[in-house]
Parts: sequence; C-alpha cells; structure tokens
Amino acid sequence: MPSPTPAATEPTELIEALREADSSMGLLLATRRLAEACHPGAATSLVEVLGFNNPGAAVAAVDGLIALGEQAVEPLLANLDGHNYGARAWAVRALAGIGDVRGLELLESALACDIGPSVRRAAARGLGQLQLSALSQSEQARVRQRCLEALLAGAGDGEWVVRYAVATGLEQLLLGMEKTDGAQTEGLGALQAFAGDPGDDTPVVRLRAELALERLADQARN
Amino acid sequence: MVVAPETIDPSPAAGAPIDEAEALRRLRQSEDLSAQYYAAWWLGRMRCSNPEAIALLCHALSQRQPRQAEAGVEHNAVARNAARALGKLGQPGAIPHLLQALADPDDGLREAAARSLGELGASEALEPLCARLASGPGVAGAAQLESSRLQEPCEAMLEALGALGNSESRVLAVIEPFVDHERPLIRSAACRALLQLTGDSRWGEQLLALLDHPQLQVRRAALMDLGAAGWRPALEPIRRTLAENSLKLMALRGLVENGDPAQAGVATRLDDDTTALLAVMDDLL
Repeated sequence: MPSPTPAATEPTELIEALREADSSMGLLLATRRLAEACHPGAATSLVEVLGFNNPGAAVAAVDGLIALGEQAVEPLLANLDGHNYGARAWAVRALAGIGDVRGLELLESALACDIGPSVRRAAARGLGQLQLSALSQSEQARVRQRCLEALLAGAGDGEWVVRYAVATGLEQLLLGMEKTDGAQTEGLGALQAFAGDPGDDTPVVRLRAELALERLADQARN
Repeated sequence: MVVAPETIDPSPAAGAPIDEAEALRRLRQSEDLSAQYYAAWWLGRMRCSNPEAIALLCHALSQRQPRQAEAGVEHNAVARNAARALGKLGQPGAIPHLLQALADPDDGLREAAARSLGELGASEALEPLCARLASGPGVAGAAQLESSRLQEPCEAMLEALGALGNSESRVLAVIEPFVDHERPLIRSAACRALLQLTGDSRWGEQLLALLDHPQLQVRRAALMDLGAAGWRPALEPIRRTLAENSLKLMALRGLVENGDPAQAGVATRLDDDTTALLAVMDDLL
C-alpha cells in the first residue's frame, strides 16, 4: 500500500489519467491507481466510475471508496444516479462497506423500493453492518430497530438474491444484539422461516439462513 | 445464452399489477397481442399451476405474428413467450405441444421450445434434438443468410441435451463437434453440456478459459454455464472474473445447489466446502 498522500497534494494527474482512459483495461488500471492514492479528492471521480458499466473498474472504485471511509459518504450520497441501477448498486455497496450511519435512510429506501435487485441486495447486506459504536446506547438500539424492521420487510422480496442478502444482514445485526433483546427473537423468527421446513423456495437461501442460525447459536453458547 | 446482468420485471401493459384471473383473461382474448404476451410471461413468472393456464399456453404456441422491429416486438412473440412459460410450470402435459414447436420453421420458437423441454427433463426431446444437431457446426451451426442467427438455435439445443442427462456415447458424439464452433457462446454451451453429462474436468477447464475471454458477453455466458454444471473447482476463477457480481452470485448459487457430487439428487448439506462457497457469495453482495 502507498503511504497516505498529504491532503495538500490533490490527485489531479491521476484523475486526468482516468478521464483520458480510452479502453476498458485502461480505465480499470487508472481507477486502481486513483483508488490506491487514498485521497479524499478522488472520491467524486471514483463515484463517477461506478456509472461507466465496467465491472472491473467499479470493483476497484468501490474498494477505493470503502478505504476512504466516512470521507466518501457525502460524495456517494450527493451523486446517487437515479437513472442507472447498475451505478446505484455499486454506490450502495460502497456505503454498505463503509457502514456509516448517515447511509441508513438510503439503505432503508433502497431495500424497500429500488427496482434493481442488485441495489436491494447491497442494501440488505449494508443494513447488517452499520458501525454503531460511536453512538449512545439508546441511539444504537433505535438504529438497530430500524435496520431490523427494514430487513424483516425485505425477507418477503421476490428475488432469491435479495432474500439471501437479508439472511446475511440479519445474521450480522443479531450478532451485535443482546440475546435478551426482544428484537433478536423477531429476527431469529425470520431466519427460522427461511431455514425451516418447508423454508425458502431457493435451496441456497435455506442454507445461508441455516448457517446464520448456527453462528448465532454458537455465540449464545460462548 | 445471451445473458443480461440482471432481470428487471417488465411493467404490465395496463400499469397496475395483475392477478391470475386477469392474466388468464388477457391470454384468452386475441385482439390485443401485447396483453397476451405479458400474460404468458406473467403466468410463467408466477409458476401458475392452474390447468386452464397450461391449456391456454399450449394453444398460444400456434399463434403467429410478424416481427415489429420498431415496437420491439419479436416474431411470433406470444408463441415464444408461451413456450418459455411452459418450461417453468413443470407440467408434463405440455411436452407434446412443445415437441411440435420444436419442429416449427421459426428458429426462435424452436429455441424457446428446446430450452423448456430441457427444463422439463422431457426425454422424448432427445431424438429430435440430436437429429437437428447431427449435421454439426458446418450445417446446423452455420449462419443463416443475412442474419446473425444460426440454422439451428444451437446454444439452446446443446443446453437442453445437457439438462436431459442422457450420457450415451451417441449423444456425446452429437455434442462434441460443437466445442470447436467458431462462436465462443456455442463452445461454452457445448462444454457445459459435456461437463454436466460426463463430469470430465477437461470441459470445465475449457469453460474456465472462457472466463478470461475479452468479450464481457462471453464471460457472462461461461459463468452461467459453470453454474449450471455445478463444477466446484471453478469457485476461485469465478470470484476473479471481470463481470457483474449479480452473475457471479448466480453462478455460485449453481455451484452450491448443483455441485455436490457425493450428494447427487440430495439437498446440499452445510459442510466446510459449502460454507466456503457461501463466504465468497457473502463478499459479492
């Protein structure tokens, strides 16, 4: 990893190289270099790459945005592309990876009503991994409750991959809760409905929920 | 097959969501073809098991209409959608009708019928499929005049042969020449079928090579084909492929659900191998 660049040096040349990339591979390499610079000035350009329909470059851009952490949240929220669900999926994925609680509202509405299954799936994953340690106890409980409600509603999604992501989101959310918490019981109920008999129509969703229940049971024992 | 990165449900012609009764009503009438087209799709999507739906869809297979390129309407659109829907409904009663559609002059209808017969596991389709492909890449696999389509819808037919599961040497002998077809998508379909039928890793290796193909469309098809075959050594190459996560997730689902050779026909268990697959899937969400 390169050492962090002093904030004074804007990554202008790297952004220029990204603009001038004229092939799919060129764009991928330029995006990787810009992402590795790990400079807040790169965030907006990395967000733009999410809309270029180049999956390799988008992966690199998402990694770069996640590495920037909370500095990338505002650029992501401000530049969400209402017309391109591919781009939204990558952006929601970046927000999910960062786990900043400012993304909560977006994750909720994305899971509830985005037309793109890839967007809903990334949002479900994100709702399980918000970083709450900086918040007060009561604030944490309030945010967790909102995440839980969004995930419980998402458990009825018509796409298997969204239900799969809901199972992972519930697992992570419940691992962070006290088992005396009534909300945990509700979340466990949803996982049991996926894993039970007959359970979810899609075998891989049943298996993922089973795995989540095993992990939660392990945690309860230790 | 030509793979879209993900499926967004089309909006119903009338705007509002419809129910089964409404779908049946739309399919029963014949004035408004786009309403029939949507109804056929809807019944398949919803896995409708109403006997009337099956009968109406079988009847719709004989419907003919010209292509309207400007309106985005394909040739014989209602019949093709009906054939696709019948593959999803799991009713063996549809098989004779689909076999008839497999002999239709419209190659697009033959394509839809072939896929559905494969999905239904219709062993009756084995002979007609082999007969249509027997002339090999040079004839069945030759391009039509002034069209990008082939004489036979080879991809769909090869996939169907793979799905039917008959691995007699005469069937393999029909499929094998297509692994040298000039089009990578046909090669991918042939390798998929052979991998499903024989489990021989050399076909899997050829699919892995297609994951590095310069065209995204080819990489997507190879992902789907590896998933259909459930070939678990493909896990790491799939993870690294430059393609949308949606398609990698579909491929990995296939590895989980189709890929436990020790457990053929039995539901996959949560062993270490499967847990490792799920971990890779989690990272792609």
